[in-house]
Amino acid sequence: MVGLGVGAGGARAAGQVAREQVRKGAGGARATMRMHGEWTQVERQALSVWGYLSFLVGAVAMAMLAPGPRVFVVLGLVVSFCALFCAGSLRLLRQRQFWLLIASALLLSPFFIGEKDVTLWGLRLSQQGFWAGLWMTARALTMGLAFNGFASRISVAELATLLEGAGLRGLGFALGVAFNVLPIIQQSAADAYTAMRLRGGFRRERFSALKKLLVTIVAGSLRRGEEIVDAAEARAFDPARPQGQMARPTHADVLLAFALLCGGLAILLPQFCHLCS
Amino acid sequence: MRKLTTRDLTTIAIFGAIWGALEMTLGSYLHVIFPPVTTPLVGTGTVMTAIGMIVALIGYLFVPRAGAVLMIGVVAAILKALSISGARLSPMLAIIIECLLAELGLLLARRPGPWGFALAGALALVWTFFHKFFGSYVFLGKDITKVYLGLLKQGSQALGIDVSLALVIIAAFLLIRVIAGGVAGWLAWELGRAVRGRLAR
Repeated sequence: MVGLGVGAGGARAAGQVAREQVRKGAGGARATMRMHGEWTQVERQALSVWGYLSFLVGAVAMAMLAPGPRVFVVLGLVVSFCALFCAGSLRLLRQRQFWLLIASALLLSPFFIGEKDVTLWGLRLSQQGFWAGLWMTARALTMGLAFNGFASRISVAELATLLEGAGLRGLGFALGVAFNVLPIIQQSAADAYTAMRLRGGFRRERFSALKKLLVTIVAGSLRRGEEIVDAAEARAFDPARPQGQMARPTHADVLLAFALLCGGLAILLPQFCHLCS
Repeated sequence: MRKLTTRDLTTIAIFGAIWGALEMTLGSYLHVIFPPVTTPLVGTGTVMTAIGMIVALIGYLFVPRAGAVLMIGVVAAILKALSISGARLSPMLAIIIECLLAELGLLLARRPGPWGFALAGALALVWTFFHKFFGSYVFLGKDITKVYLGLLKQGSQALGIDVSLALVIIAAFLLIRVIAGGVAGWLAWELGRAVRGRLAR
């Protein structure tokens, strides 16, 4: 992410939602942008925010409810969808940190879950724990990919409009500002920490030093916030005014929702029938 | 009740961004270094919730309105979700539920004060105990009874007492969280006042 000029950050965030709405064309034409508000590409696509939302809800619900090995079917569906509609989200699979989390769940489960009934290389392990860990891992992968897919295709402005549509007025502006100030806060926190460390701030009374660090970060951020408020007010931003219109579901969204419902029933119905019998 | 002004929303955004930044950096590293199964008594989630509550409650001191803590939490959760490594639903949901409980605490306390902040922090931190059951059942499909038994086993090992003393173990789990939450709330009050003093200079 690239930091913006702080003074202009708030006003840019305020105008961001409206600009995106203006640039949206009819019939599902949609503009995508990076987090820092720079226009990257305008593309025509069939799925709107409702399609991606139904994908997220459907994938998470199926991952939660699918029994045992069927989680892999859901995982396969999610990977296919991501590859077709949001290929960028598969970059998550290249993150070492993500795999470390997955591996920790898979490797530690045989030690901590269930009765230890197998000995492997001198280690007492649990078969039940291994399978539980495997299903857990598949569920985590499925949900992680679904969420990443949703996040990679939905812009901050669309998410903000969605939240405002759900009655959380003002959240769109707050989200826009938060995205803009995030790199600045991270940088100023790192600077404050380095400055304190170089002056020997953490050698003695570490708690007091931590307290001073947090106060410095918060006070500095709030001072920058004043500049954002001034910039937004100078551009006549009014949080009470609606910031954008909700996109209407397209035919493809409805089709996807129906397909997800059918797929979900096909995966889950045998389990319910088994439970009933 | 007066509507949120541009200043209020900006303050909420800043505190949400601070919490989000902490979750994305410190939280992600702590989760890798200390996976949940290795820290039964006080996990990374509890520590991060305490830190997050300190930030959110300082934010409440600057925007003393119902819903401010929840909005700070929602901003933090969305920032975490849209980060590279944070695309997970369970911590997002935990943040939002914890903020709702903190709002309840602030509502019960009526006026902002150290005790009200301590109550809000304690209520928020208590959820980290129940989230273990909720998350295990909803997101991992585990049997709650097994989670409970596993928790008792880990608790008995950590405290060095017999598993049969289930009530003592559960009480210890809850007490640790209540104390941690109370301290976090109290710290938030103190730090918030220190920030005000710094800004007034």
